[in-house]
Amino acid sequence: MTVVKCFLLVLLLSIKTVSAEESGLTASQSLLKMAHAMQSLNYQGTVAFLRNGKLETMKYFHAAEKGIEQERLVSLNSPLREVVRDSDRVSCLFKSTQQIVIDHRPVVRSFLVDIPKNLQELSGTYNFEIVGEEEVAMLPTDVIAIQPKDNFRYVRKIWMEKQHFLPIKVVLYDLSGATLEQFVFTDLQVKDTLPFVDFKFSDAVNRSGRKSPPDSKAPPPIAQLQSQTSVEPDFILTELPPGFRKIFFTRRPIHNSDQPVDHLLLSDGFSAVSIYMEHKNSDMQPGLQSVGAVNSFSRIIDDSQLTVMGEVPAKTVRFIADGIKLKDADE
Amino acid sequence: MYEDLNQNISQFLDKELDHNEALSLLNEIQAQPEARSKLSRYEAISHAMKTEVFLTVRPDFSERIKQEIQHEPTYLLPARKLKEHKQFKRNHKILAVAASLAVVAVITVQGVNESPDKVKIASITGEIAQQPLVEQPSEFVSYKNETEHSPINAQINDYLQAHNSSVYTNGKANFQPYARVTAYSRK
Repeated sequence: MTVVKCFLLVLLLSIKTVSAEESGLTASQSLLKMAHAMQSLNYQGTVAFLRNGKLETMKYFHAAEKGIEQERLVSLNSPLREVVRDSDRVSCLFKSTQQIVIDHRPVVRSFLVDIPKNLQELSGTYNFEIVGEEEVAMLPTDVIAIQPKDNFRYVRKIWMEKQHFLPIKVVLYDLSGATLEQFVFTDLQVKDTLPFVDFKFSDAVNRSGRKSPPDSKAPPPIAQLQSQTSVEPDFILTELPPGFRKIFFTRRPIHNSDQPVDHLLLSDGFSAVSIYMEHKNSDMQPGLQSVGAVNSFSRIIDDSQLTVMGEVPAKTVRFIADGIKLKDADE
Repeated sequence: MYEDLNQNISQFLDKELDHNEALSLLNEIQAQPEARSKLSRYEAISHAMKTEVFLTVRPDFSERIKQEIQHEPTYLLPARKLKEHKQFKRNHKILAVAASLAVVAVITVQGVNESPDKVKIASITGEIAQQPLVEQPSEFVSYKNETEHSPINAQINDYLQAHNSSVYTNGKANFQPYARVTAYSRK
């Protein structure tokens, strides 16, 4: 009997979860393991998003099989809706009205958090550090701080669950240390398999009658993506904060009209900034606006209005906006 | 019999009856309009003696209120028409309550006093013990913006929708009110 007790004790001690520091992983290595776990595991749970002072609780599902993944969110509160991300396509079905919104995103971005694959490239702009251990939703986690080296971006902290390396909580802080937004799982289960949901949205058409094109090869994640269209924006950026680079440009209607809007996406790996340019109209108020962690700064240049928007501090969007110049006609 | 009743009423008003006796007396009075009237009178006398203020209440005061209540119409909530919506709601009702409670518990104890420079190492149960939920509602989480919130311009909302997927996890966001299909050209 004593032998059995000793065996059980040794077994319990041996299966004790080790922290990333104890296992010799650096913060960067832990983040990379987390990125891999996020893409390859099947997991589900209840997640609460706190944005703009509002709490939104949703069920979250991540299904993965043979390199293909699907994220699904089901809201628990009104308006009841189901959001599905297949690679770069995000589909949102409102249960009560059966209204459907389908978007093809310019880059693949998770509903939770995106981790760039080459973190060494970001060493000039961010420090990565394991700053502690905590229990979240009764699960042991390592706390990883993503600390910017300047004031052009926000601080992030990721609570990484130790057993499967999944992010269970992410908080975005402003420059003074106040919480801007966060998500947190209240329960999380890893499964062997999870079903892929197939919404038949293929017949959905837009106002001009164009059908959704078939999905081609999925675009690479944000850290790898280069500018992909031959069209160039009609503006130039004279100054950018360190680490930000052009990711994507497109010209397409995004309002409830056919008027095209230039959309240039910048990123420093963690923070994304969009620049929009269109013909000026009276609806837009120049200046600074904030929606939660997202700041935007709009200005008028000649007959064009430009808006810089991103989950970065106000000074960053203003800095980028101030550096925008329109191209000359012969450029 | 009546003397006993009178004495009981008097004791009742003086709070000298125990719970069971008081209940028994009230049941007895309920069946006797005269006794009810007597109780009202005794109560008025007692009130007047104690406060030197006398308010006359008609004996049928409570009866009239009772009748008024009975004449009030009953409001029935309209039934939901969409079957799927109803089913979805029923399926998630219990889950929503449980999840919301769990969310409040986790966020309250963990998200309130965090700062990037300082990470607390404490178990959930430890923090709950130190910070009762009653004293730390989730509204205490501070959200600081560098500018004041203003109503979202429709154009800004479109930009936000094109910028990232956060609008889908924000129940208050305004989506484009039509099925929208967009595609990006790729090389």
